[in-house]
Amino acid sequence: MAIIRTKLCDLLEIEYPIIQGGMAWVSTAELAAAVSEAGGLGIIGTGHATPDWVREQVRLARSLTGKPFGVNVMLRSPYAEEILRVVVEERVPVVTTGAGNPGKYLGELKATGVKVIPVVASVALARRLARSGVDALVAEGMESGGHVGEIGTFPLVPQVVDAVDIPVIAAGGIFDGRGLAAALMLGAQGVQMGTRFMCAAECTIHPRVKEMIIKAGDRDTVVTGRSTGHPVRVLRNKLSQQFEELERRGAPPEELEKLGVGRLRAAMVDGDVEYGSVMAGQVAAMVKKVQPAREIVLEVVQEAARLLASASRWVVSRE
Amino acid sequence: MSIFERVKAIIVEQLGVDESEVTMDASFIDDLGADSLDIVELVMALEEEFDITIPDEDAEKIRTVGEAVKYIQDHI
Repeated sequence: MAIIRTKLCDLLEIEYPIIQGGMAWVSTAELAAAVSEAGGLGIIGTGHATPDWVREQVRLARSLTGKPFGVNVMLRSPYAEEILRVVVEERVPVVTTGAGNPGKYLGELKATGVKVIPVVASVALARRLARSGVDALVAEGMESGGHVGEIGTFPLVPQVVDAVDIPVIAAGGIFDGRGLAAALMLGAQGVQMGTRFMCAAECTIHPRVKEMIIKAGDRDTVVTGRSTGHPVRVLRNKLSQQFEELERRGAPPEELEKLGVGRLRAAMVDGDVEYGSVMAGQVAAMVKKVQPAREIVLEVVQEAARLLASASRWVVSRE
Repeated sequence: MSIFERVKAIIVEQLGVDESEVTMDASFIDDLGADSLDIVELVMALEEEFDITIPDEDAEKIRTVGEAVKYIQDHI
């Protein structure tokens, strides 16, 4: 069986260069462990969760898999610092960070051997973090779900690859072997996928959310909250319409933030797909079924290997 | 050129704002419309211009043009 192996696999001690993106209220220990068991790297999403919850999740993941997994820390969480301490205490092998610059925590994390992989959406932040000694970077395009930047994956990834000399992981808009093959050609050493893993059998989100993703079409996601400075890509529903209406009226950021409070949990845990925040990327439209994490991981690497092995047919020599 | 003048030139270039808006009191986020990624770029540009290193712990305390100028004065 032909598969794909890159430097990222050696760095993270995983079999395949596929990382499951950390998603708050979505990627709990069950999903993360399943992805790690399948040979990728599962990541527990923490969002605004408490340090105690994170510790429980880490221990649960450890009881489900002996393979490496990670924790994603959302740096705007009031608990970010305490969660990073849990990561260190529990000897979690990998931490990814979102929503900011983890620079000031790097010293301690590096000293204890935690591999640090920040998610970036700009070249300047990528350069700055590479300089301060992070192990790899996720370059995430605006096709992704949840909090997004402004640059698409195709232009972002090669620019970040050119700017740094550490492994770059492409994220945003990646769904299958075609996406992995393309990402490798852009210079990435692997991919991070979130939305596709939301419909993994092991993902604990409410079934109504999985159903909504499976039904989604190509134009069914929308970015709201640009006026607050923290734009988020979600599946369109009553809540996103309310957001758009408030933004059209020029409502102050506080009012918009208030509307968003608790809405992610309402969607993912309680299944409120009308008034909940159903964060998902543009590839939601490509998700057609619920399938085990292992099947997803193997499908992606095998398809990419097949495509790349046959890619030389495009190359012809000319006199 | 004074430090303020050099800082101002970088801010005008990076943030695309008018020179007149760049006063010592101006806040990067509230007055000059910068977002967190703009600030990263600005910090990198200031490091390059003045040949200094601004650690993240310090960078996050710099909120206004005046604070940037003062930081640079103290560190070059």
